[in-house]
Amino acid sequence: MSTTAPVRERTEQHDDVAEPDIPWVVIVWNDPVNLMSYVVFVLQKLFGYSKEAATRLMLDVHHKGRAVVSSGPREKAEFDVYRLHGYGLWATMQKDR
Amino acid sequence: MAGSFKRVGDDRVLVRLGHDEVAVLRGLPDQLRGVLADGGDEPVNQRLFPPAYLDVADVERDTEYHRLMHDDLVKEKLANLDLVTESLARGSTSVRRWTVELTAGEAAAWLGVLNDLRLALGVRLDITEDFDGDVDDSDPRAPALRLLSYLGWLEEQLLDAMQA
Repeated sequence: MSTTAPVRERTEQHDDVAEPDIPWVVIVWNDPVNLMSYVVFVLQKLFGYSKEAATRLMLDVHHKGRAVVSSGPREKAEFDVYRLHGYGLWATMQKDR
Repeated sequence: MAGSFKRVGDDRVLVRLGHDEVAVLRGLPDQLRGVLADGGDEPVNQRLFPPAYLDVADVERDTEYHRLMHDDLVKEKLANLDLVTESLARGSTSVRRWTVELTAGEAAAWLGVLNDLRLALGVRLDITEDFDGDVDDSDPRAPALRLLSYLGWLEEQLLDAMQA
């Protein structure tokens, strides 16, 4: 029992060492219910985008089905996904490759 | 016709609604609380708490994400619901309408709750195409679709007032 956690920690460290440079991207997916104006508002509020930049991203989501809204190390991407989920946006993250 | 929401001062929002509107709104927070309380994998909960990781290689990370974040997300939503319920109880009633003044934090909570309610309704109604708000009277879902449309109209006005 007591050995489980340390083993898992080592595994995660190994991952970090093996893939230090691959950033993660945060993707917002199209959603038939969220208002376009709401998506623009949330992107501005969470990421500091200008109204124009947030609108372009929202239109990408709307027309192409998805848009990358932020990127960075896994921990940052996970925090961004968490905040987007808090606002009800359909967000996921994946390695950028 | 006066709008339902109006920016007052630096960051406060005045809400002005008809008595019938307030009556409808007062019944909604408990429905959302019920959904949040029963958890599990009900479709509404899947939409409100979607996966963070889609890649099958990241299944364990997604499980860990939910283990760490789910309770905090629920807490945020419940806190928003409490602020909305409290302000709906606090407002004052005149012959013509009901009014309440919201702090910036309360306005943000109203926005979150209106959006969560619409997401939940959208799942229940199986909305998969963009919904333009037009409702066909012969549709058995018409009453719920009208509610979805009404809540979207409120949300749009609240967003405008918050950014005015």
